[in-house]
Amino acid sequence: MDDHSATPLEERSRRLFDESIAAVDMSVRSRLTRARHAALEAVPRRSARVFGMPFWKVAAGATAAAVLAVALWFTLSAGPQAVGANDSRPSFEDLGLVASSDQGSGDAMEMMQNDVDFYAWVAAKAAQPGPGHAG
Amino acid sequence: MPHFDTLNCDSMAWDGTATEPEDAALEQRRELDKFLAAVERRAFRIAQVALRDVDDALDVVQESMLKLVRKYAAKPSAEWRPLFYRILENGIRDLQRRRSIRKRFMVWLPGPKDDPQHEFEDPLENAADPAADAPVRLMQSQAIERLDASLRALPARQRQAFTLRNLEGLDVAETALAMGCSQGSVKTHYSRAVHHLRAQLGEAW
Repeated sequence: MDDHSATPLEERSRRLFDESIAAVDMSVRSRLTRARHAALEAVPRRSARVFGMPFWKVAAGATAAAVLAVALWFTLSAGPQAVGANDSRPSFEDLGLVASSDQGSGDAMEMMQNDVDFYAWVAAKAAQPGPGHAG
Repeated sequence: MPHFDTLNCDSMAWDGTATEPEDAALEQRRELDKFLAAVERRAFRIAQVALRDVDDALDVVQESMLKLVRKYAAKPSAEWRPLFYRILENGIRDLQRRRSIRKRFMVWLPGPKDDPQHEFEDPLENAADPAADAPVRLMQSQAIERLDASLRALPARQRQAFTLRNLEGLDVAETALAMGCSQGSVKTHYSRAVHHLRAQLGEAW
């Protein structure tokens, strides 16, 4: 009521209405308060956010990552059986055996040294003159 | 080798206060509480004038508060007032419709006089309030009753326009939003309401 001057009827009716509001009895006030509190309980809750993303998205991402990790772990730990018996490709287990026996162990180094000695002895024998040679 | 003190951990630090969304939710709830507390008694009186029943008026106000909170809590608080009064007026109208339908069917059903439960009424319910004996309060109460009756006698749209514009202090645009009509219609309904009220209440008003 700001765009024209109020008439006495408008003023009086407004004043009376305000007085009637002030006279609302306590039982009604109490019920209104309870109604208000009940209504406020219905305020739609905002979903929790982690680093700016809704919580459900973060949870779904974490679950998917966990499922992928478990699937990879089972696949790798099952060995060649998991990829088929006829598969000729070396497994990680075979590679481990090769690495441990031929490169890392002292036995392998000793065998390689014996081979070198053997081939040097053969070469020396071939260079010497035979027993039937005159001279 | 990176040092931990070079990392920016501001976003992860816990400073003992609520997070931003929680703060916003709390603030919104506080604002809603404040708004509803400010309008609940006025809304009750508007509903009571229209429905002439305390329980029905309380039901309509409660429903209106629930609807506002559920549907429009996320709206800017400046829009709550016209939206709330629109919900309230719709609730009043729906209840009046249900009543009129019920009345049509009630003519074939036994009335309260045939109901043994209504034979004995509590005499205290009809007793006058002793505090209202004071002449001033009596006159005031009579004036309020007269105003209520005159408002009730108005056509619904005129009553809404007068209540929202004059008694609630909404501007023309807010009243139009609350009534779901044009601003021109608001002005027409309001001017007719004032004319009718003056005819009913007399020039002394």
